Amino acid sequence: MSTAVAVTRFPVPEESRRTSFVGMVMALASWTMLFVALFFAYAVLRLRAPAWPPDGLPPLPKALPFLNTLVLLTSSVVLHFGVRPEAEEKPGALRRALLGALALGSLFLALQLAVWVPLWRSGFRIDTGTYGSIFYSLTVFHAVHVLAGLVALAVLLPGAFSGRLVSGRASTVRLSAMFWHFVDAVWVVMFVAVYLV
Amino acid sequence: MHHWPFPWLTTVDVSRDGWRAEALFWYTTLLCVIAFALVAFALVYSSWKYRARPGGKALYTHGTDRKSFAVTGILAAIVFVTIDMNLVRVSQVDVKEYTYNWPTSPDTVRIEVMPQQWAWNIRYAGPDGVFNTPDDVVTLNEMRVPVGRPVMLNLKAKDVIHSFYIPNFRLKQDANPGYVTRTWFQALQPGNFEIACSQMCGWAHYKMKGDLIVQSEADFERWMKEGVGDAKRRFDPADREQLWGWEWVQ
Amino acid sequence: MGDATTSKPAPIRHLHVGPEFHAEQHIHPEPTSFLRKYVFSMDHKVIAKQFLWYGLFFLAVGGAMAMMLRWQIAYPGTPFPVLGQLIWPQSGGVMPPQSYAAFFTMHGTLMIFFAITPILIGAFGNFLIPLMIGARDMAFPTLNLMSFWTNVVAGLCMIVSFFVPMGAAAGGWQSYPTLSTLVGSPGHGQTLWILGIFFTGSASIMGAVNYITTVVRLRAPGMGYFQMPLSVWGIWLTAILNALFVPVLAAGVLLLFLDRVFGSHFFLAGAAITKGGGDPVLYQHLFWIFGHPEVYILILPAWGIVSDLLSFFSRKPAFGYKATALSMSVITLLSMAVYGHHMFVVGMSPLLSQGFMTLTMLISIPSAVFFLNWLGTMWRGSIRFATPMLFSLGVVFVFGLGGLTGLHLGAISSDIYLHDSYFVIGHFHLTMAASVLLGAFAAIYFWFPKMFGKMMNDTLGKWHFWLTIIPITIVFCGMLVVGYGGMQRRLYNYEAYEFLKHLHPINVWMTRAALLLGASQFLFVGNFLSSLISGKKATENPWEVGTLEWTIPSPPPHHNYDEIPIVLHGPHEFNNPAVAGKDWLAQDEPIDDEPVALGAVGS
Repeated sequence: MSTAVAVTRFPVPEESRRTSFVGMVMALASWTMLFVALFFAYAVLRLRAPAWPPDGLPPLPKALPFLNTLVLLTSSVVLHFGVRPEAEEKPGALRRALLGALALGSLFLALQLAVWVPLWRSGFRIDTGTYGSIFYSLTVFHAVHVLAGLVALAVLLPGAFSGRLVSGRASTVRLSAMFWHFVDAVWVVMFVAVYLV
Repeated sequence: MHHWPFPWLTTVDVSRDGWRAEALFWYTTLLCVIAFALVAFALVYSSWKYRARPGGKALYTHGTDRKSFAVTGILAAIVFVTIDMNLVRVSQVDVKEYTYNWPTSPDTVRIEVMPQQWAWNIRYAGPDGVFNTPDDVVTLNEMRVPVGRPVMLNLKAKDVIHSFYIPNFRLKQDANPGYVTRTWFQALQPGNFEIACSQMCGWAHYKMKGDLIVQSEADFERWMKEGVGDAKRRFDPADREQLWGWEWVQ
Repeated sequence: MGDATTSKPAPIRHLHVGPEFHAEQHIHPEPTSFLRKYVFSMDHKVIAKQFLWYGLFFLAVGGAMAMMLRWQIAYPGTPFPVLGQLIWPQSGGVMPPQSYAAFFTMHGTLMIFFAITPILIGAFGNFLIPLMIGARDMAFPTLNLMSFWTNVVAGLCMIVSFFVPMGAAAGGWQSYPTLSTLVGSPGHGQTLWILGIFFTGSASIMGAVNYITTVVRLRAPGMGYFQMPLSVWGIWLTAILNALFVPVLAAGVLLLFLDRVFGSHFFLAGAAITKGGGDPVLYQHLFWIFGHPEVYILILPAWGIVSDLLSFFSRKPAFGYKATALSMSVITLLSMAVYGHHMFVVGMSPLLSQGFMTLTMLISIPSAVFFLNWLGTMWRGSIRFATPMLFSLGVVFVFGLGGLTGLHLGAISSDIYLHDSYFVIGHFHLTMAASVLLGAFAAIYFWFPKMFGKMMNDTLGKWHFWLTIIPITIVFCGMLVVGYGGMQRRLYNYEAYEFLKHLHPINVWMTRAALLLGASQFLFVGNFLSSLISGKKATENPWEVGTLEWTIPSPPPHHNYDEIPIVLHGPHEFNNPAVAGKDWLAQDEPIDDEPVALGAVGS
């Protein structure tokens, strides 16, 4: 009896790309659970509350956060065009995408500040019951991730400008982009859960 | 009265429903002893019988033939049905008949309990039957209940989580800050018993003791009457702290 | 998988193999500087040893604390010999109640996160995964290095917390709010505890991502999932649980941290909060969503290791290998859906409680399957009683006790009496302390030759086994007994209660057994250290088994495998009739005319 042996060949860079991809998927799965747990906490507290927003507290603004959602989604789209394989044929596509995403991400943080500061000044603070606790904790925690994402994109700039990195075929670019899309996806859920419902 | 093995090991059960925990405990223990005896026997027997000997050779099998699957599957199914499903069945009956079957009869004694670091605040509604009113009888670390009447508790902690534990009634219920939890019991014989805290509540957790005094109906009513008189005399409307009670949760 | 009727192992899956396959696993030159070689090493074998020393250190610390706790229980008010005078000079060597609370809190925390986790997951996860699947290192060596040193930061947080004003965390290892918020724990010890948990959790997640990826991506050609040793299965499933559920704990302690430091109100309620209070029980949900998988995180590696060792020393293929691997996977899945049984007395909805009870009971089925498979492995074997085998049998024994007593706690009406009693302590020590510890010892005795190139002393090992299994059974079964007797956990002086006074003799005997257990660990320490220095030199394959790590020198070279092996058989091909002259078969060893592989492997 002989053993069947079939050979499947992959080119070398593809192998290590796959490995880092699997690692990133696991890391993001783990990260997702962190946010799932935070949303679970929010859901429990909210379901236990007799009214939401609790008596006497203002509803959260919707217009600015909605605009911000569009900003962040646009950044994801922009980044996607610099990362996809077709970008390789267009010189500077990755560079432009990175700069675009960085600009939009920074705009997002600036608009977040524009949401937080007036609310904080009006006396609505993190210790204003569970309502304040949830609002500030979730949005600030997410903003920290946006900041981390911006750093991850910024460190790609030298490579993109020197022409060493041209698309998401480089794992560093691909993984940073995955993280950025993840942060954006979390924001969409957060926008719906915290501001809309 | 029920009889359980090793009565010297534990406290006397003086409750109407404590036997349920005991019965399930000993039933589970019996099944576990049988299951464990089988495992231990197999372990010791195979260790001895199949020890390596000169010239001895192990059987070459992966245990993946149909017979092995069938034996493993059937044994696992037997374990599940005879042990687990049985425990669930018994426990479901207990849950339905006792644990969450709140007493509704008019003679139910209702008590609010607010543990704090490290004492038990206890409140009876008084003659008006409404909690948080001037006629409430309030005690510290002393709960009195009559024999033979259902006693229902509302618990809410003042500071940290505590757990109301009365070993002679085989009963335990956490008291959380912020919202009310419930439990109930019924005493079958008079006597003085201990209330213990069973949830870590700070360094003095170990001495958070209370007394549970089970009295005859008449003694209880006499004590209650005196208590109501006292309560009315002592009530100070200016002292908001005094009204720590809450609206009863049935 | 073959069975009794075929004479050769069945064909294995298609090999994903080619000259390029492991080109990504370059042979890196071995670093030469001391720092790069021993301190900030990226070699999985060095990191494994670092984790081993680290875990053994905390095992000693946590164990010493346990001795002092037991001393206080049996002999309240008497000074603990020698150490007591050093730690509590102001009370003449007697442990004060505040220290008692801090010690049981930190005993649990250190043992779970800083002893068991580093030894079984950190050390053996790191050491075994690449070696057993035929890889040169982990998928992400730098991440591996970061994982260890993040863990060190976490350990430092915990150690420092003992020396801050008001001492270390003292709210129990679960740190339930509101006791763990500023309401009950104003000192910095609790905050440091949170940071420590956060760091060690991050380290666990880094490790988990690395382990999972390594198993998914770097298995040698021919090493299908069902050709992996069961040790790798156990560690891999643990890594999956770690990656998915440690973040939930992280979320819980993050919110606790915000409550303590930034004044948020997630878990605050009660008299101190006048409006807008949160829910302390929410923390319990988050904690146990993590906490129940956590007990499997701790035990799964031990199960895997024991499953392998039982087969190795019975000289017989693991009985129902696939069923064992699948049972462990099913338990992994079930562990995600049963956490509510930790909360039967918190006042959860009756419907939820009953649902959790029924789900919990389902765990019996896969447990029964692999218990039967363990016994089936020994059946008609030719059992060699070396020290690792004794410890493996010990795991089966104590885990049997521990697993079965879980039934008492899984049913609502008996749990209401037993909840938070010593019965719970006995149950979880049997399952996740005794079993895991014995499993760790089995692993250390077994892989010591491969790790250090020396053999441990077998006679001393056997003494160590008997002087461990007997007292450990007495201590933890004693806990079951006093738990049924009504004794709650975490009592500084249980004799404050009249109804517990009669348990004194049992408690004294438990303490005596615990002290014996502690003392007999010096046999292990002595054996470990003397073998390290002057142990008999280990051969390549001293136990005569077939998993890949035993086909290379002891200790293995820096890059593990000169050539990546091609796996042809399962991990337990003992007494294969096609093999003559010996009773084992290496996983990459061809029999007869079997083709090795197509295409050149290695470049």
